[in-house]
Amino acid sequence: MSRSDAPAASDAAEDADEEGFVGKGLNRVEDHRILTGRAEYVHDIAPENSQSMGLLRATHAHADIVDIDTSAAEAHPDCALVLTGEDIAAEYNPMPCGLNGISEWALAKDTVHFVGEPVALVVAADRYVVEDLIDLIDVEYETKEAVVDPIDARQDETVLHEELGTNVPDSENMHFGEVEQAFEQADNVVENQYSWGRISGVPLETAGAVAEYDDETDSFEIDCNIQLHTLVDDTIYEPLGYDPDDVALNVPPDVGGSYGTKIAIHRYCTLAAIASQQLGGTPVKYVEDRIENLQGGDMHSSDREYLFRLAFDDDGTIRGIDVNFTDDFGAYPRYPVNQALKPLTNVTNAYHIDHLRYNYELVLTNKTSQTAYRGFGVPQHLYALEMAVDEAARELGMDPYEFRQHNLIQPEQMPYKLPTKNMYDSGDFPAALTRIKELVQEEEQVEDGLLDPDIVEQRREEGKYRGVSYTVHVEPGVSGADWTDRQRSDRDSLSDREMDDVEELPEHLRCELLDDGRLLVYLAADSSGQGHQTIVKQLMSDELGLLPTDIDVDYLDSVEAPTEYGSAASRMAVMLSGAADGLADEFIANLEQLAAEHWDVAESDVTYQDGSVERADGEARLSLVDLAGLDTERDADEQLTRAAYDYQHPVYENEEYEEAFTNKYPVYPTAAFAANAPIVEVDIRTGEVEILKFYTLRDCGTQLNPTIVEGQAHGGIAQGIGAALMEEFAYDDSGQPQAVTLFDYLLPSTKNVPEIEMEHTETPSPFTATGAKGTGEGGMIDGPPAITTAINRALEPFDVVADQVPATPDRIREWLRESDAS
Amino acid sequence: MSSDNGEPIGERPTQEVSMNINGEPVTEAVEPRLKLSDFLRNYVGLNGVRVGCEHGVCGACTVSVDGDLVKSCMMYAVQTDSAEILTVEGLSEDGSLHPVQEAFHEAHALQCGFCTSGFVMSTYDLLKKEPAPSREQAKEHLSSNICRCTGYQNIYEAVDRAAEKMGGAEDDTAAPEVGGDD
Repeated sequence: MSRSDAPAASDAAEDADEEGFVGKGLNRVEDHRILTGRAEYVHDIAPENSQSMGLLRATHAHADIVDIDTSAAEAHPDCALVLTGEDIAAEYNPMPCGLNGISEWALAKDTVHFVGEPVALVVAADRYVVEDLIDLIDVEYETKEAVVDPIDARQDETVLHEELGTNVPDSENMHFGEVEQAFEQADNVVENQYSWGRISGVPLETAGAVAEYDDETDSFEIDCNIQLHTLVDDTIYEPLGYDPDDVALNVPPDVGGSYGTKIAIHRYCTLAAIASQQLGGTPVKYVEDRIENLQGGDMHSSDREYLFRLAFDDDGTIRGIDVNFTDDFGAYPRYPVNQALKPLTNVTNAYHIDHLRYNYELVLTNKTSQTAYRGFGVPQHLYALEMAVDEAARELGMDPYEFRQHNLIQPEQMPYKLPTKNMYDSGDFPAALTRIKELVQEEEQVEDGLLDPDIVEQRREEGKYRGVSYTVHVEPGVSGADWTDRQRSDRDSLSDREMDDVEELPEHLRCELLDDGRLLVYLAADSSGQGHQTIVKQLMSDELGLLPTDIDVDYLDSVEAPTEYGSAASRMAVMLSGAADGLADEFIANLEQLAAEHWDVAESDVTYQDGSVERADGEARLSLVDLAGLDTERDADEQLTRAAYDYQHPVYENEEYEEAFTNKYPVYPTAAFAANAPIVEVDIRTGEVEILKFYTLRDCGTQLNPTIVEGQAHGGIAQGIGAALMEEFAYDDSGQPQAVTLFDYLLPSTKNVPEIEMEHTETPSPFTATGAKGTGEGGMIDGPPAITTAINRALEPFDVVADQVPATPDRIREWLRESDAS
Repeated sequence: MSSDNGEPIGERPTQEVSMNINGEPVTEAVEPRLKLSDFLRNYVGLNGVRVGCEHGVCGACTVSVDGDLVKSCMMYAVQTDSAEILTVEGLSEDGSLHPVQEAFHEAHALQCGFCTSGFVMSTYDLLKKEPAPSREQAKEHLSSNICRCTGYQNIYEAVDRAAEKMGGAEDDTAAPEVGGDD
């Protein structure tokens, strides 16, 4: 049923009105199967006769494997297979790493480099027996000095990987503008160290893979919950030693959260595939358990030590920043090495700053390797920057709100080019900061409000210090593909590159008309809760004048889909907008050609509208069902009721971005932004922080589905709260992980997440098809600096700065004990 | 007598259990070490029981046993002999939605959905005990479940909506359906 045919009583048709479905908070199509328990996650996939795989993991942070005795496991009557690192190395290849010159094996060979590193795999019919088998394997280790502290690791006294020869396999010292001069000329400089603890996304669904090798075709089918399955499939087909077309990765429509973390689950997919091949094609299933996930699941993320300097004048003008940090990447420099570079895209946050130095070192230690996590290295940078801004304001005795307002980029400067060559597309940052303060004052700085001065004073007498801060933050969106290998490139020759050398990856979308006139659209990107099926229905309904109920949305596996980027980097709203736009044009052109040929008239004499093609004379009309029928009479390779489109990149043709593209500086062409004002209360006796309410004003351009946008913001803020106050993968001096259960790695619950008061503005992007900007990472990016600046405000009487996150009660007590004022 | 994939367990000890699950009698011989969560998923096929941590923190595997909320990863199947068990699959029939499920849908109280079965069961339990819970009561009751996507805001909204629906109040705030895709 097309929109024009819809009965007037239809809710959906009424809702579409003149404006269409984009912009409406349509309920999600994904929900029903999930709510009734019928959604099939990868944990639920269990082919007949499939076997279960388990992994024996290293108990030491750094040790040579002297001997592995698998005989008792192999003698168990229910044991199907045991493999060790030697077995893998004999037949297969190492896994690709994020930097050149280093090999990582799916099972450790010779040496283990972190607690939890897989050492052997076992297979049996029953998962409980698998655990029995793991217990029967005996490994003899010779322990080595564990490298734990990233600052000490830089001395290279013990080197993790001899082939690299150093624990600092990548670094760069980048200057933009005249930074030394700016620091010399500025009236003041603040300098401090800030520490961001090791955290990650910790999705509720752990990693899983079900692999089946086909002997006849010599190929693999792997169901798995990997993120970016069309982009990172090389991390699986390369270690297997097969061509991309022989290893099909199929991600179920429902994945139980990823937030970037599942990009790096290739070890599991590879091992399950190898086990299936070794068993002659028996399907092999692996599901990571939670302890494996927290301890050695390849999914920790950013762990940074900053030395941050900020130069500013007496009137509060920021002259330059000097950003130095180490990022503890753990045992191997995996794919997200470029997490260290993404902050270049919003390096000055919402401030106008012309001069800066950006100097980083990636450090390897005997810990779990890093993967991506929501924000991809940006939350850490904004945290350090906003701490330094607070310290500068404090040094001047200036209200931090006034200090920030004084330095913001003005709306007339948009689009605004950063010294690091990326651009902000649009936005009014000063208005956002003004509004959030106004809102809090109206609502809370009144009698009986949370910031009623009498109440604030009374609470202080009880040892509870309230504070609020007003900050504005940029969330860079979309990214690109070409810059992501900067660290594997010859950096000295980048300035010679031209746009023809820049290789971007598209977002792919395709569709086909079914016999009954329904449209089936295929996503090449995988999803993990973002509601992409709903969004595609909304976009394609508007493009084609159909109802969302006329459209089904399915997914392509890694062989069916071209190599493309996928869902990451606050990317899909923009990329799906462009892809839907292009796909609809192609599809309509095809339908018009089909009708024109049928009527034997020129294509200019037919017009597609709202689900049918009409002849210009008005005498004839073909519905989608008619067109589907006509098309079946054509040869298969000439059929016209289908189309495919690759949307390249919103600013690939925009000359203003050329310098960023050619130099492989990160390109993120949309600047969503948020002004935040969490109200915190710190109990100075216990060090506990309670967030009483979280005010936020958010702008991600045109909202494709405001309900989904709001949900993304809520969830991001909750993760930001976890990062700021609770979550941390700590290690002891011997490299033993201290957070291996959810009793140690604390996730925010209803007890920790306050009421979130949210307002929205819409400043469309001038660069994207619908005006949408990327969103999805926002709250995780802007939550931590908002909360820590609020803690600074609350503890201002003690001159405390939250220079370490998570700001746990024991740390806050330590700051208070050390502060002069107490 | 079978394991995860239907193969015989062989020589390992088993014990027979009988219980009523979602209104249907079930009898199976299981290993005493089998967790209730694995029993419900692998032997009874109730995959709506999600396994998120297996140590009693996340609440994704929450079910009702004899009217009490239970994290099914913290119980052995043999402990539920002759019990009445309700899982999310038993809340509604023929693809329809229970008011709690409807409320979660309308309020956009789920994203990735992995925690959702647990939250729906906990909300169902809350409303059974307290038909019109305050926000504080809802927070307290749902603090046994973790959601990593929604920040809980819309879950509170869903609790309120469900309470309204189950109290028989008119609800005209539902967003229009896209529908059709399942």
